[in-house]
Amino acid sequence: MAVSVDEAVATGPARDRTPSARRLGGRGRSVLEVVLLTVLAVVMLFPVLWMIETSIKENRDVYAIPAKFFNFTVTMDHFKDVFVAPGGGRSALSAAFLNSVLVAGVSTALATVLGVPAAWAYSRFSVKAKKDQLFFILSTRFMPPVVVVIPIFLMYRQVGLIDSKLGLILIYAAFNVPFTIWMMKGFVDEVPSEYEDAAMLDGYTRLQAFWRFTLPLLLPGIAATAVFALIFSWNEFVFAIFLTSSDGVRTAPPAIAGLIGGTTVDWGLVAAASLVFALPVLIFAYLVRKHLVAGVTLGAVRR
Amino acid sequence: MLVVTSMAACGGDEGTNASAPKAPATIPELTKDPLTLSFIWFDWPPAHALETFANAEYTKERPNVTIKVNTVPNANWHDAMFTQFAAHKTDFDIPILDSQHIGEAVTNGNILDITDFVKQNIEVDAYNPYLLAAYGQFPQAETGKRDENASLYGLPLLGDTWTMIYRKDLIGDTPPQTWDEMISVAEKCQTDNPGVSGLAFHQANGSDAAAVTYNTVNGVYGGNLWDAKSRKIEGVLNDAAGQEAMDVLVNKMKPLTAKGSGNWFIDEVNAAVAQGKACIAFNWIAASGALLDPKESTLGTTKEEILSKLGFATLPSQKTNLVPLGGMGMHVSAYSSEEKQAEALNFMKWFEQADIQKKWAAAGGVPARTDALESPEFLNAGPFNKVYADSVSRMRDMWNVPEYARLIDIENTNVNAALNGAKSPQDALNDIAKEQQAVLDSSSQKGGGGL
Amino acid sequence: MSDPVSLTTDHPGQAASATPPAPGRSRHLSDRWLAVAFISPALLLLLAMSVFPLLWALYLSFTDYSATRGGPAHFVWFGNYTAILASEQVHLRALTTLIYVVGAVTLQTVLGFTIAYLISRRTRGRGLLTTLFLIPMMLSPVVVGLFWRFMLDAQFGVINSMLGSLGLGQVEWLTRQQTALFSLIVVDTWQWTPFIMLIALAGLTAVPKYLYEAASIDRASEWFRFRTITLPLVWPLLLIAVLFRAIEAFRLFDLVYILTSGGPGVSTETLSFHVYKVAFLGFNTGTASAYGILMVLIVIILTQLYLRYLNKLKED
Repeated sequence: MAVSVDEAVATGPARDRTPSARRLGGRGRSVLEVVLLTVLAVVMLFPVLWMIETSIKENRDVYAIPAKFFNFTVTMDHFKDVFVAPGGGRSALSAAFLNSVLVAGVSTALATVLGVPAAWAYSRFSVKAKKDQLFFILSTRFMPPVVVVIPIFLMYRQVGLIDSKLGLILIYAAFNVPFTIWMMKGFVDEVPSEYEDAAMLDGYTRLQAFWRFTLPLLLPGIAATAVFALIFSWNEFVFAIFLTSSDGVRTAPPAIAGLIGGTTVDWGLVAAASLVFALPVLIFAYLVRKHLVAGVTLGAVRR
Repeated sequence: MLVVTSMAACGGDEGTNASAPKAPATIPELTKDPLTLSFIWFDWPPAHALETFANAEYTKERPNVTIKVNTVPNANWHDAMFTQFAAHKTDFDIPILDSQHIGEAVTNGNILDITDFVKQNIEVDAYNPYLLAAYGQFPQAETGKRDENASLYGLPLLGDTWTMIYRKDLIGDTPPQTWDEMISVAEKCQTDNPGVSGLAFHQANGSDAAAVTYNTVNGVYGGNLWDAKSRKIEGVLNDAAGQEAMDVLVNKMKPLTAKGSGNWFIDEVNAAVAQGKACIAFNWIAASGALLDPKESTLGTTKEEILSKLGFATLPSQKTNLVPLGGMGMHVSAYSSEEKQAEALNFMKWFEQADIQKKWAAAGGVPARTDALESPEFLNAGPFNKVYADSVSRMRDMWNVPEYARLIDIENTNVNAALNGAKSPQDALNDIAKEQQAVLDSSSQKGGGGL
Repeated sequence: MSDPVSLTTDHPGQAASATPPAPGRSRHLSDRWLAVAFISPALLLLLAMSVFPLLWALYLSFTDYSATRGGPAHFVWFGNYTAILASEQVHLRALTTLIYVVGAVTLQTVLGFTIAYLISRRTRGRGLLTTLFLIPMMLSPVVVGLFWRFMLDAQFGVINSMLGSLGLGQVEWLTRQQTALFSLIVVDTWQWTPFIMLIALAGLTAVPKYLYEAASIDRASEWFRFRTITLPLVWPLLLIAVLFRAIEAFRLFDLVYILTSGGPGVSTETLSFHVYKVAFLGFNTGTASAYGILMVLIVIILTQLYLRYLNKLKED
């Protein structure tokens, strides 16, 4: 079972049981801790707040020195620019967002369809050299993307997958399958195999037992795993910039990077685009908050 | 074993065409079906101007054609084009190459040889021959001038050079005439106006930013980038003139720039000018239009008010009057369908006509035909256009060789290092010469190329 | 083979039931068939998209092949490898990468653990706090890089503006040799401190209450409790978190590409960024492949050594 934010709220070391003799010193220390925590929180969250402020400032205020924290005119123009092209119609950014939705969505579905059955099989059956296989699967995730992109590029060139959504979907799925297997294996391990054994005594085949009894129990785990795969594909930059080029294929990260390097930088637009782009991820992350630890460590740390 | 042999087969099946394929001399019959003609460029205003202009004007002649200008981030421009060339599949029909990219593209056979096409269809006499050479000829002539016998691989799309942008309200209406004078004027202006820095120019280590800056100063102080005939850089670039140029750049010009401007490129220089933070700035003409936008500027609330404070002039001269050649040419992708290649040739022929060039000038483009350059349509379209017309005869380009991308990276990183105190100016210049020479000489090396 | 999964603290008793008793022979056969059918599609995808490209890169690494120049690939055998290992340029990037990895991972471990410890000692608002602290980690590196570049701008950036208000001078965050690498470390730390925090928090909340209660009856000092109860329980998790961060930091490319593009000069060029230049500026595909293979080897070897050390630590 993985740690959850909710759970973190409920439990905790019994700090209040400190003997009363030390109470006073304890209070001073407690105040110090709160102050320290507040300072750290402010430092960590300031960039996000500044991004929000920048996204609603007019361009002339964006460059103001000293920086304007409160007294600026609020405008929603940058958010409009994210979706609407200057001359009307859909902006290139919004097209890139749609590409991201498609590429991240399909690659996640593919990784889930391939990864979940494999995870179940690794969990339930004695497979030859299981540990080696599993470590091998994990190690494919260790390769630096900028290194992998070279042979992938040459391979895609042969089969005509350069600058295609399918090409991106396949490579993202391949990067997400190891993660899906590792994380789902943990979830499958938690479902007692006796359920399936009992079902098989009732005359079901192993496959039916998996499909009818185990899979429904795995659904929350599958959802959590899928969300993490989705976040990876959503934020990915290296493959996207080297394997795609046309507006019809380009996903959002390279499109946002493309906002820099014309003749002027519209930081308000960069901020607004970044916020719009980050929002789905933040919502998804909140939805799977119970599985965050497993999610960010490929299931290697599950508490 | 099987895997290895199949991979060897995969790796070895291309490269049979070591030189560029030829385009037909006359334009083949064009299709009547709907067709999209795609360009690739980096994301900046001229790219959007081109798309709008071509869709408005070219479709009058060819109503079934739609023009699409794909854009990529500037930093990714070379990579985006050449990875597609490497893929032997391009999603563009007309790549807009930087003039120095031609060598790499020709040597790899990525773009069409249009020599015969130009002979039949283009009035070459209407151009300053140097511009035709810069945006289309390979190999590059040693003199920089056009060689009538050399092959052509492209035609000019957008001319460009640096302009000096100066604050009329701070240094007066007359721009400085020599480089030394420019530096002393900037110094005085900086002292007189706290909070405003004397100079702003490109210093970034991405793209060709810092390298163009050094090359410009190098030209002005009488230096040379290389000896093209003997392919010598070592001892040429870092000769006395080259050393002096580096010294001027790092020890005289850099101290007059804003603190932390060591990663500035086009955008940042524009922002500094628009925010009233620079006395004298240098930028590409094609990128200067944004300076006149009152929404981005603190210099005035109207274009006229801004122009009362900003002046645009040709670069000061010193030992020579050389200015950097910018801009780009149009080329035809060798991997487009024949139908689209024909349409691309037709577009180029159409684009290079006198009246279309004037319209392109009025739409915000910088033409290459002499008649268009001298036309009122062009000269009145922007306050910096006269600067361009006056600069044409003074231009100098860089090395146009297949190794360009490596050469420019070496120069960029080292000049940037010198500007930011990560290397002494002298070491930086000597390192550039040594490393660039090694790149030119590396053909005989066994392994480890490109490190 | 060392196995990260052995470090998990799953509830005992579940792992034992993982393999069902083999009932009949026919069923066993069908199980095997099922296992093959379920595992092979995933493995095939990995073979096609990870293993085959890697083998291809291995082959290219022994040649002088260039993806744009075309032409047949000539074998140079270990020429690329010896050139890379002997290159001063590579040594410089290796040193930069090392400073960056050690600096960033150390900083985020200290900060992440501190935040986790402080949060674990709160009784209220922990859920909200944890969620807020996690935001940086969820952002795309592109967004993080771009926005920090804006904030760290020496002239117009908010950081220098605030320093100015405090009467301090402007700092050239991205354009001086030392500050640029430091800024890279700070930005990476900003994004990934939450990662360490999250895992440390998992360890800290897993410490059973009764251990603390027993200790407070013994009137053990706070520090003693921390050292003897908290740390030993959190330590293994923290080390695994450090491993993950170190691997990620070693592969870093996007942040450099956007924040400094390796500058000033080449002082923030990491190994990954250098591979990119070799591969896509000069299109020296053979050299870049050898470079990449060496990087993969380093990751795998160091990971193995680290995991072995970790398992040994656990046994002690």
